[in-house]
Amino acid sequence: MLSPTVMAELSNSEIRALVVYHGKRQVPLEEFFDVDGERSDELIIHGELNKVRLIGRAMSKGSITVHGTVGMHLGACMTGGSIEVHGDAGDWIGAEMKNGFIHVHGNAGGQIGAAYRGALAGMKNGMIIVDGAAGLEVGMRMRRGTIILGGAAKDFTGLQMKGGTIILRSGAEIRTGAWMNRGTIISLQPLQMMPTFAYANDFNPTFANVYAKQLKQHGIDLPFAVSQGTYQRYAGDLSVPGKGEILVWQPA
Amino acid sequence: MTCTLGEVKQRADFIVYWGGNPAECHPRHFTKYTIMQKSKFLPRGRKDRTMVLVDIRETKSAKAADIFLQVKPGKDFELITILRALIKDQHVGDEQISQTGMTRETLDDLVQRMKSCKFGCFFFGMGLSMTRGKHMNSAALLTLAAEMNAFTKFVAMPMRGHGNVTGADVVMRWQTGYPFGITFNRGYPRYNPGEFSTVDVLVRGDCDAAFIIGADPGATMPQPAIDHLKRIPTICLDPHITHTSKLARVHITTAAQGIAAPGTAYRMDEIPLPLKPALKSPYPTDEEVVRRINEAIAQKPFWLPEGSQPQMISAQV
Amino acid sequence: MLRITGGKTYDPANGIDGQIKDLCIDDNGTFVPSVDGGRTIDASGMIVFPGGVDVHTHVAGGAINFARAMTPEDHRRTQAFIRTQSRRSGLGGMAPTTFATGYLYAGMGFTTVNEAAVPVLSARHTHEELADIPIVDKATLTLMANNEIMLDQMQAGEYERARNVVAWYIWAAKSFGVKAVNPGGVAAWKWGSDAKQLSDPIDGYHSLTPGKIVSMLATICDDLGLPHPMHLHCNNLGAPGNISTTLDTLKHLEGHRAHIAHSQYHAYGGDGWDTMCSATAQLAEYFNTHPNITTDAGAVLFGDTVTITADGPWQHLLYKLTGRKWGNLDVENETGCGIVPYTYRPSNLVNAVQWASGLELMLLIRNPWQVFLSTDHPNGGCFWRYPEIIQLLMCADFRSECIAKLPDKIKGKITLPEIDREYTLYDVATSMSAGPARALGLTQKGNLGVGCDADIVIYEEEDDVARMFSHPRYVIKAGEVVIEDGDIRETPQGREFLVKPSYAPETDEFMRPLFEDCYTMSFDNYPVEMERIENPNIQECVNSSAD
Repeated sequence: MLSPTVMAELSNSEIRALVVYHGKRQVPLEEFFDVDGERSDELIIHGELNKVRLIGRAMSKGSITVHGTVGMHLGACMTGGSIEVHGDAGDWIGAEMKNGFIHVHGNAGGQIGAAYRGALAGMKNGMIIVDGAAGLEVGMRMRRGTIILGGAAKDFTGLQMKGGTIILRSGAEIRTGAWMNRGTIISLQPLQMMPTFAYANDFNPTFANVYAKQLKQHGIDLPFAVSQGTYQRYAGDLSVPGKGEILVWQPA
Repeated sequence: MTCTLGEVKQRADFIVYWGGNPAECHPRHFTKYTIMQKSKFLPRGRKDRTMVLVDIRETKSAKAADIFLQVKPGKDFELITILRALIKDQHVGDEQISQTGMTRETLDDLVQRMKSCKFGCFFFGMGLSMTRGKHMNSAALLTLAAEMNAFTKFVAMPMRGHGNVTGADVVMRWQTGYPFGITFNRGYPRYNPGEFSTVDVLVRGDCDAAFIIGADPGATMPQPAIDHLKRIPTICLDPHITHTSKLARVHITTAAQGIAAPGTAYRMDEIPLPLKPALKSPYPTDEEVVRRINEAIAQKPFWLPEGSQPQMISAQV
Repeated sequence: MLRITGGKTYDPANGIDGQIKDLCIDDNGTFVPSVDGGRTIDASGMIVFPGGVDVHTHVAGGAINFARAMTPEDHRRTQAFIRTQSRRSGLGGMAPTTFATGYLYAGMGFTTVNEAAVPVLSARHTHEELADIPIVDKATLTLMANNEIMLDQMQAGEYERARNVVAWYIWAAKSFGVKAVNPGGVAAWKWGSDAKQLSDPIDGYHSLTPGKIVSMLATICDDLGLPHPMHLHCNNLGAPGNISTTLDTLKHLEGHRAHIAHSQYHAYGGDGWDTMCSATAQLAEYFNTHPNITTDAGAVLFGDTVTITADGPWQHLLYKLTGRKWGNLDVENETGCGIVPYTYRPSNLVNAVQWASGLELMLLIRNPWQVFLSTDHPNGGCFWRYPEIIQLLMCADFRSECIAKLPDKIKGKITLPEIDREYTLYDVATSMSAGPARALGLTQKGNLGVGCDADIVIYEEEDDVARMFSHPRYVIKAGEVVIEDGDIRETPQGREFLVKPSYAPETDEFMRPLFEDCYTMSFDNYPVEMERIENPNIQECVNSSAD
């Protein structure tokens, strides 16, 4: 409900009357929010919303900026637009998103860009940046798109990945890349590898160069030059058997 | 990939217990269903069957096993994943194998036996499903069993714990489509374990009342969840005094299922068994209590205003 | 009490083809010649059908429940029923939940369903689930044909014993008849193999062949006088070239009554997936010359579904083809089942052939009393999509439009483009109601005659056939208006039909040792108690000759 796709065409009084769920009861939005401003597809939310779920769910355009924390399912299933959160976020950020951009400046929960239980594919495109740490199963079954974590992730990062890229700037706990089929996980810190990944070679892929340029726009550094170091490439997961790769940065 | 226990009794010539201690936790499992039974297809009983035990320490069940594999704690998922690779003839390094506490020879032998058996069966216990990785550990074993069917017949089955857990699971599925972790707050069932599962809801303090039947979360759940149960009105139906009943606002003593109350229990392989009470109890059955509560609630005005909701929505949002 | 006046009535059981007729219903929910007082529904300009009867569906039991657990992603996107004070919530989709199943069936005018695959061991579970399906009347068929105790008797040539065993099982499971799935094949699958040839002995047996099982079981059903003849799912389902197996099976049935389930899956020519083509013409020709046999189409509709059948070998094949999820559930001594989610695509040649074959069978078998509407729910498509099939059957133009969307390579593989038959409303009423009711032996169903159950569906006449059949104006179940103007009004509890075939009293004692030897349940716990059945209704066996 809290999404520019719903609100862009509405007047302020119509927005106040929008029905939201408080537990099982339906109440108008104005019970919880003051609404002001001009009609637009830019939505700015202030407040501690860590129990508010599904912000920006299935949004297709415009932008949401949140000053405060948000709850679960931020930007789940979104198809376009952008979300920026100055604070922490809950689980399932950008779950099954098709496109769009999400930037969380604080920490996030698990299942970022993941597939919901039972579904075969997670995020299909778009980009998710989390400056802080993240929880379990980041990028589970993602098909395309990019996830960048500033802090450390917990277990099962890139579980059953089918494509796309996950960049771990502070590493992850165990079972990274378990059962991955395709796709790339880049870690700037040493990782504890699954036994079913085999060391392949050292190299400096040209795509790292491309990524580095793109990430620079968001103020993120990705090393790529031979002078700085090299990537150790591990192939797996052999149990699938998959054609995924994990690249671990080795500074020179 | 599963089957009923009778299939195991009749046909399974290769049985693996993973992370369970049947000798002590499910004492009748060996004799009644699995390794000790003779059958038309396995006339020599125990001699015709191979039993493997995988666990982190040598429990009493290890004595009954032909092969005991001691896996390093927390390495079950890794070991199963290695097996998945080995059955497909993928090369896994010796050093990687040794991380799990195994050697290449043991695993090659195990894979060889798994592929050459006629009917294999995995049983997995809490040692697998409740350690780090949780549902993914069980998923790993189920996947391995499914993949083994490219070579021979293989099934996997959880060793369910106390009470009629399977029964609850089965009924929830036919009424709501989901086994657990369900919310009805929008008037129809929605599912997301981790979001709507009991323990998560309690830990986050999302619910404002609790109704507990035939379970004792007060003994098993993490402290924040127990604290929340104490804060909110908690109603507990139980024949006994339990940790939960002590912290509950209301405790209704009911007749014990199977002993004094009739019903149906679902065995761990989802086979329904009738419960035929042997005793009479002065207390009402759970079913009767719930029915009477339901009747009382039906007298109250409905929480959704009439006509505020469509009967059916054609697609969920 | 209820009167329905002025409707154009289609009642094939009584030869009424669109005549204006008044219907009167008494307080017991049966048709009577006249009533005094009560509500009158003016059905002028509307079409009146007997309530639909689904002869072959899977709506309750271990397998479909397994399928529900396997497809949360589908539940998340499909129709949802929101609870009210009198109605329960539920989800539709590929494997609808129990309450939703009742609402969805009633919502398109079906009032009787036959759950076609119940393993005896989980019969108690199936009946508990059926009790949670509101509105519709229900019947169940017990899975035989791979039951080891019965197979042993057949192998030993003990016909009498085998018959007693079958009768004992039907009563123990409180079911309505016998379903035979892939005779011998499921028993063999438990060793990872299959039974494909009717005259080859089954794995684990010396001389017993699938062909022998088929003819013996058909004889048993006839001798027991079951209202519904043997319900047969032939061997070699879904494989290219299986038409020879099917025709061979039918030859083993000469002289018997039988119902062939989802024959679409058994009517393929060719010798591989590349050369697979429709062989429905041959099969239809057989039906046209053998009125003793009925069938349901098992039609396929394009889209997502979940396939579930007691045919384990086929499911493993499908899993290997799709590489998606797979569930398998083997039940001791009796049967097994497999579950694979699947998407039928028009661009896929095999799927396109399947789609065409189902329709071809419905159109090529001339007598609508022999071929019934079904998708083998949920295998070929969900039951709530039946109106789409009716549209394809009634409108040749619409059919041509759909054929035009198929890949070019389909040419020469199917005969559908050459068929210009269109179903009349009378044909549709026969195929969705009167025919299946008669095949099931439920004489009080699918019939608007005096004394029959007052299950009626009233449609507003419309050009858009699919819309008309999916949105009945009224649905009346046992004289009660359950659907009116698209809203669910009442949700009465339906009945469950069962039969009590007679068997020799010593069968109990004969079964006990065999049973305790191979089952893991105590013999006394095994039969489903009568109290467990909601509103049981025991149907008479005809010409029961058991001594």
